[in-house]
Amino acid sequence: MKRIRLGVLFSYIILFLFAVITVFPFIYMILGGLMSFQETTSIPPTLIPHHFEWSNYAKVFARAPFGRYFFNTVLTASVTTIVSLFNSLLGAFAMVNLRFKGKGLIQMVLLSLLMVPGEAIIFTNYNTIAHMGLLNTYVGLVLPFLTSIFYMYYLQSYFGSISDTIYKAAMIDGASDWDYIWKILVPMSKGGLFTVGLLSFISGWNSFLWPLLVTNEDTMRLLNNGLSAFASDAGSETQLQLAAATLTVLPILILYLIFRKQIIKGVVRNDLKG
Amino acid sequence: MDNNKFVEVKNLRKVYDNGHEAIKNVSFSVKKGDLVCLLGPSGCGKTTILNILAGLLNPTEGDIIFNGKSVVKVAPKDRHIGYVFQNYALYPHMTVLQNVMFPLIVGANKKPKAEAKKIATKYMELTQITELAEQKPGNLSGGQQQRVAIARALVQEPQILLMDEPLSNLDARLRLKIREEIRSLVKTVGITTLFVTHDQEEALSIGDKIILFNDGIIQQDDLGQNFYLEPNNYFVANFVGNPVIDNFKVTKTANELKSSQFTINLADLEQSRFKREIPDGEYVLSVRPENIVPDPNGLFETTVDDIELIGRERILKFTFDNEQVRSLINLETPIKRGDQVKLKMRFNRVFLFTPGGERVY
Amino acid sequence: MKTNQKKAWLFLAPTIIFVTLFSIYPILRAFSMSFQGGSLIDLHWNGFSNYQYIFNDPEFWLAIKNTVLYAVISVPVGLAISIMLAWIIFDKVKHKSFFETTFFMPYVTSTIAIGIVFRYIFNGDYGMLNFVLRCLHLPAPDWIDDPAMSLTTIIIFGIWSSLAFNIVILMGALRNIDPNFYTIADMFGASGRDKFWRITMPELVPTIAFLLTMNVIGAFKIYTSVYALFNGQAGVGNSGTTAVFYIYNKFQIVGTPGVAMAATVILFLIILFATFLQRKMMKKIGEN
Repeated sequence: MKRIRLGVLFSYIILFLFAVITVFPFIYMILGGLMSFQETTSIPPTLIPHHFEWSNYAKVFARAPFGRYFFNTVLTASVTTIVSLFNSLLGAFAMVNLRFKGKGLIQMVLLSLLMVPGEAIIFTNYNTIAHMGLLNTYVGLVLPFLTSIFYMYYLQSYFGSISDTIYKAAMIDGASDWDYIWKILVPMSKGGLFTVGLLSFISGWNSFLWPLLVTNEDTMRLLNNGLSAFASDAGSETQLQLAAATLTVLPILILYLIFRKQIIKGVVRNDLKG
Repeated sequence: MDNNKFVEVKNLRKVYDNGHEAIKNVSFSVKKGDLVCLLGPSGCGKTTILNILAGLLNPTEGDIIFNGKSVVKVAPKDRHIGYVFQNYALYPHMTVLQNVMFPLIVGANKKPKAEAKKIATKYMELTQITELAEQKPGNLSGGQQQRVAIARALVQEPQILLMDEPLSNLDARLRLKIREEIRSLVKTVGITTLFVTHDQEEALSIGDKIILFNDGIIQQDDLGQNFYLEPNNYFVANFVGNPVIDNFKVTKTANELKSSQFTINLADLEQSRFKREIPDGEYVLSVRPENIVPDPNGLFETTVDDIELIGRERILKFTFDNEQVRSLINLETPIKRGDQVKLKMRFNRVFLFTPGGERVY
Repeated sequence: MKTNQKKAWLFLAPTIIFVTLFSIYPILRAFSMSFQGGSLIDLHWNGFSNYQYIFNDPEFWLAIKNTVLYAVISVPVGLAISIMLAWIIFDKVKHKSFFETTFFMPYVTSTIAIGIVFRYIFNGDYGMLNFVLRCLHLPAPDWIDDPAMSLTTIIIFGIWSSLAFNIVILMGALRNIDPNFYTIADMFGASGRDKFWRITMPELVPTIAFLLTMNVIGAFKIYTSVYALFNGQAGVGNSGTTAVFYIYNKFQIVGTPGVAMAATVILFLIILFATFLQRKMMKKIGEN
């Protein structure tokens, strides 16, 4: 009996330890963003700032156009999410409910493209965008991401779980495909669409390499690029770096905490990658 | 226009993309206002036919005529049909009223909302679901969902109602009740109805006529009682009837039918019931259990293996050529397990089939 | 329903157009570019010389070595820790969803932002990590500024980041195991360890195979976390360079897209090979 108890205790310690390791960077980030410069570099390290330096945030906004970064990020993440969701919705509907020649081929091509790492095509896409003269534009930032094979695949499995007699019933009831999509499919898949939208928005928010490639003007930067540029510029001012990092992470973290159930369920449901 | 051929199916054939031939040359017709049952074991092609009639599947070959016009190239929504699905296919996010109204507010013949609601209410009254109007389908019982599905199918006032196993998701008692309701409802509305089922009892009880399918072809297209009394072939004889028919292997010689335990003199059979001259050889003699009964002057003697009680009657079970055979007797007959009984057949009620299944007597 | 044909292509049109332009074309283009020399505006055919170049480039080999080492160490370690944690949460904890929520946090947060925090925690002088290590009288290396430590630092950060996805997926798989298996095992008097190794692990094999594949592919693509940890560099003196770093450098900084694409093709082949190898391995394990 005693040995088992010891085992359980040991498990709890490990779990607690890892939970702390996971959460600590976030807490430290938020607290560090409110410290004075001396506190951030003191030895031994400070954990709780003596006095909350809210002025750090004012300094961050003064030094770099974080407001602009926010705007750019929200805009591109929203547009990418809405348009790719729309395209995936139409595509997934066709793949699930319509019969046509070449469906198997399309499915096979899409599935194999799913295996191609984004990093392998991002550079040639840069080339394409550059040729189109779209560097440093919003269109250039979003264009390659306006359709997502992954989300389409996800929605396909979601729509596939709806009995096909529902579609047949709608056809007999006189509904057009367009009616079916908006009056039946969308309301019935609200949960799935919402989760996909959320995950798409989060990955849009966190995108880094692509905006790094296609923008070099400060006014076109997204949050993460702005942040990494700021981190280089702010150099030794660690407290400002941490405040800026908090600005980047906190909105998504709040979104996550509100919708954690949908997000986790969505990820588990289809082993979704970001 | 011929009311006897309100629905006409001509030489229908369906081969699926995977090469499976679900329907091989099927033709039949339905009289206006009739309730016809499409009966058959699962996989026999009956649902495929219903889907083709509805326009949800394209036939490979053949023609479908509704009310004198070919509809093969007509879209489902323009065929003037109602369809009740096996799983009802109610829209889960809409209320009952919205479900029933849906056909009236989409597509080309959209109606103003008030009018749509009026028509929907009328059919909801007819199917007795008025008080469920604001409920979502998920909160309804199977029987209630069934009524909603029927109301939705009727609301466009179609000329033909197609029902695909509409009772299979209900429990046994409800099934009896609803099938009577369905019959009286379609008769009240006067709509021509095709009703797919795998349950022969259901088909016999509600169908004006029955079309029995197997292997993608029609086995028999007839009035209900004829499936009992005059089955077309071996399959029909064995598919219809509960308890199932008894089969005996027999060999025909010049003037008798010989089995392992009995011999029948051909002269004892009714000569007029022979369909044709039959050569000597192997045949199957089939008798319904109610037509093989204990009798002191019986044809052969056997031991009762078991007795099963089914309501007012009992089934005697015995073994013949290593196969179980049954005899239906009434409750009072004093026979018990292990008894030796002599059994007699009513020769004017037996059937004789070739090994290929063709009926010859 | 013959009209379906046209309609279907109409519904699929946006997807097909975008996929062709931004998924299929770039793959073919990358491949063809890998045989071309010159800058982006002046490309010309030069056969296999890009491949010759990278195979003779010690920096390329360092990038590959780092990437492979990173994958080979961080993936199994991260997965083992994830399995352990998922099992503890599943088996011994009441507030499962609380821990699930906690452990999943890194998945949704920006690698750049959290990388900045790690750079700070890893700081050799005033970093929190070295403070703790010194308190425990353990060696406190210079995680960021010592070239010899670069890869280790990257691996630790990689493991930290990988737990989130793994744990959540494993929890999903654990929930899917039929509880009757455990009830029956209890009736036969199986110990906790028996149950873990004879029921849980075999049931998890497909999930672990999936995670292995995902993690390895992810590991070979490592870039952003290195960028964040070392403030835009690949560690001091390029000591922590990775395959994607190398590609980015050759493409954008040095301006030799052909070389970058040759490296991309090689990386792609390595990923393909690793995925294939793993599938085979997991199949073998599954059979036993």
